[in-house]
Amino acid sequence: MKKGLLIVLVLQILIAAAFGREADKILPYTIHQKKMDNGMNVVTVPYPSPGLAAFYIVVRTGSRNEVEKGVTGFAHFFEHMMFRGTDKYSSDEYSAILKSLGAAANANTSNDRTEYHMTGNAEKLEKMFEVESDRFRYLNYSEHDFKTEAGAVKGEYTNSTASPYAKLREKMLDTAFDKHTYKHTTIGFFEDIVDMPNQYEYSKEFFKRYYRPEYCTILVVGDATPEEVYALSEKYFGDWETGSYVADIPVEPKQTETRFAHFQNGGVPPFLQLNYKGPAFSDQEIDMPALDVLATILFSSTSDLYKKLVIEEQKARFIGGGAFDSRDPNLISISASLIDKADMQYVKDEVLAAVDNVRQNGVDADLLAKTKSNLKYRFAMGIDNPDAIAGSLSHYITLTGDPESVNRLYALYDKVSVDDLKMVIDKYFVPTGLTIATISPDSEGGVK
Amino acid sequence: MKRLILACLFLAGSLFAQDIVELKQPNANKVVVKLMFRNGSIADPAGKEGLTVATVQTVMQGGYGDVSYSAIQEKLFPMAAGYSASIDKEVSIFTFSVHVDFLEEYYPIMTGLILNPSFEEGDFNRVKINQQNYVDQVIRASSDEVYSKRALEDLLFRGTNYQHMKQGKSASVETITLDDVKNHYKQYFTRTNLMLGIAGNYSDDFLNKLLTDLKKGLPNSDAILPRPGKANQPNGIEVEIVAKDNAFGSAIFTGFPLNLTRSSDEFAALMVANSYLGEHRKSYGKLYHKIRKIRSMNYGDYSYIEWYDNGHRFQLPPAGVPRSSNYFALWIRPVQIAKQLKQQYEELQNIEVGHAHFALRLALREIDNLIANGISAEDFEATRTFLRSYIKLYAQTPAQQLGYLMDSQFYGRSDYLKELDGLLANLTLEQVNAAIKKYWQTENMYITIITDKSEAEPLAKSLKENAASPMSYSNLVKSGLPEDVLKEDDEIAEYKLNVTSVKIVDSANTFQ
Repeated sequence: MKKGLLIVLVLQILIAAAFGREADKILPYTIHQKKMDNGMNVVTVPYPSPGLAAFYIVVRTGSRNEVEKGVTGFAHFFEHMMFRGTDKYSSDEYSAILKSLGAAANANTSNDRTEYHMTGNAEKLEKMFEVESDRFRYLNYSEHDFKTEAGAVKGEYTNSTASPYAKLREKMLDTAFDKHTYKHTTIGFFEDIVDMPNQYEYSKEFFKRYYRPEYCTILVVGDATPEEVYALSEKYFGDWETGSYVADIPVEPKQTETRFAHFQNGGVPPFLQLNYKGPAFSDQEIDMPALDVLATILFSSTSDLYKKLVIEEQKARFIGGGAFDSRDPNLISISASLIDKADMQYVKDEVLAAVDNVRQNGVDADLLAKTKSNLKYRFAMGIDNPDAIAGSLSHYITLTGDPESVNRLYALYDKVSVDDLKMVIDKYFVPTGLTIATISPDSEGGVK
Repeated sequence: MKRLILACLFLAGSLFAQDIVELKQPNANKVVVKLMFRNGSIADPAGKEGLTVATVQTVMQGGYGDVSYSAIQEKLFPMAAGYSASIDKEVSIFTFSVHVDFLEEYYPIMTGLILNPSFEEGDFNRVKINQQNYVDQVIRASSDEVYSKRALEDLLFRGTNYQHMKQGKSASVETITLDDVKNHYKQYFTRTNLMLGIAGNYSDDFLNKLLTDLKKGLPNSDAILPRPGKANQPNGIEVEIVAKDNAFGSAIFTGFPLNLTRSSDEFAALMVANSYLGEHRKSYGKLYHKIRKIRSMNYGDYSYIEWYDNGHRFQLPPAGVPRSSNYFALWIRPVQIAKQLKQQYEELQNIEVGHAHFALRLALREIDNLIANGISAEDFEATRTFLRSYIKLYAQTPAQQLGYLMDSQFYGRSDYLKELDGLLANLTLEQVNAAIKKYWQTENMYITIITDKSEAEPLAKSLKENAASPMSYSNLVKSGLPEDVLKEDDEIAEYKLNVTSVKIVDSANTFQ
């Protein structure tokens, strides 16, 4: 006990010394942000990377916004269309400019956002602003280009769904959700992808709705000053007109019993995934930070469960899990890859027993302190370049619109108590919120 | 600001003659240590393919002395410190990284693992089960793109120590024992073939202690490192089609031997040509433009003049995979097969084969055009400008910077990225076009295609007979295509490829 207490104290001193510089903020660099009159947020984080800057535009629109029937996958498809040119710069001219910038540039889409990013020469920041402003405001593509691009999306689907795990995920989400748009994956249902070429008119509507300043945040990390970034934002986005559309995202009804999704496949090891309905991300409520701490204690490679199932008994190749950060309530998933399909039920029971053990007995104070230390040092070790910092801040901008959420979240980790861990177990780890997903050579999953 | 020190030290007496690469960054919050051993999967004995991976993984997933793997993980947990290893054909690299707050506590774990690994039976079994699973199942089931890339290497290097996947083969992994692993470590992970790299916020005392301990603790060995196998010379275009159940498309990799590496100054010239033809994951390459952008055939198409590790995941080339045996490659991401096209489009009911043959013809014709015409002065300037900026992004983190510096040593350079910038700056258009003519051709190459069982036979027939392969567009796309594209399609459809052999292999029989 004394040793435990000592560990707690030493860790607290180390963490205070390592992270205490910016008034207890996990991010040791100042976040400058300012909202423009049209609602567009502008964020700058100066970072000592001479000559190098990461320039991101985060659009808070993703597959979550695909509320109408038959248009799943559209946010992602639209991301592709953003490379198809404007009146000022044709698609080929845009490509040539990108090439001249010599930047690592790309885009990607997830549930809650579409992100466009360029990391490169900080001296070329103004050109980056100019071309991005041009396409965000004046995108203009032909119906033929639209139909052509749909083929590339189909190619992407072909490639990304080759794995049985991707197929199971598609099926699992469809099973776990009834109404909410998290029911479908970001790439969308295949029949909707095949139909995409017929949705030209809808694509124009999509652009009008979401490619608006109130949905967008500009984020620059690296060799740039906030003054410079504000000035460029005003110059290139200042008179961009605010929109008015707000998507009516369906609220997911309460689940009432355990659900099952199974994918029959003998080509990969037996796979078990327990998916519980969890909360939405919040940097105010204790639920999500408590779940992060809990998942690290229960399912990381140092957990008792991992030691037992993976290292000692060698019944699982891997086990891991956690709550998914998202704007609306989403899933807490625990996954295990097994050696023998006969152990599916055993592994499930062991996971539940590990959860129940914390429910009954709590956890030691020193384990709690070590877990908080792990979360903080893991973050600190990861932010060693502008792109990594921008990527992390983009995540929190997506969730709340405010990059300071990262600092608030890590401050909340400090407050998580053993009672909080028990509270989130009682609240979320319930059979009526569970969807069990499995892969095995059998026609049914066979897990109760 | 970062202070970059690059030193190449040889300790007195040359008992410990490995190179040391230093990158001091006094403002960094961490320290990264890399141990690059000059032996990789080519050191696997015949019949024990996969031994180097099994050896390194048993060290990384085991304990040291009487400290168990779990005890190490527990100790490291509050530090969030990690370590990992990567294995390629010619090198194995252990990477350790830790926050400066914990450097002293971390030290015995790092040195313990390298100098005194415990090689427990239980840890070895865990590693072996997963490795067996990888060679038996994962490689065939997870990503057809990765699969086609591995299948190409299997074909290019058949009969040499470069042929096998670093994870080994189904039959060879089975035979690996814990004793094999222990012996392999003792023989091949020695101070005679070590290069040490260190980056971040460390003191000279720390480095000296590390050097002394490695010098004392690592064995000497007279084991001779095998010579890297060279790629086979194909006789015409030799195709291997791997047929599997339920493939959604045809995933293609092609290649031929390339007698050029980063060691040569000519590499910069070919790099410009390659970037123009098919820069990795960029929309500016010729191949991407014609296959994906104009014709909507797949998700992307790229070309390579050296090994690109994990290209399906990374946008920028990772360090730590230096090779002396090289080859040129094209990556054509999965294109549609006849079965899928028929299901989707009423107007395509009569087709017998999907888009793979057309895509191959298009790609090889682009290379032929480059050989015949070279690239223009304008494209040369644009591509060179792009590269001189882009290569600066290859090494953004301390670990990547250190990795690139260590790779430089492998190729006999001191700072490859810096030297490359100088070479690009002095390059001429004539040098680029001369390099294209000297190193590229389309008469002799290997092609691997992973595809659905329904597609394999018709595709093989089409390739073998050099049959016309008109592009089968859906009406949706075809109706809006410009005349010049349709005209070019007609030429591509008849473009002659020097196909000399086509073989169909069942997926279950690959990597035997």
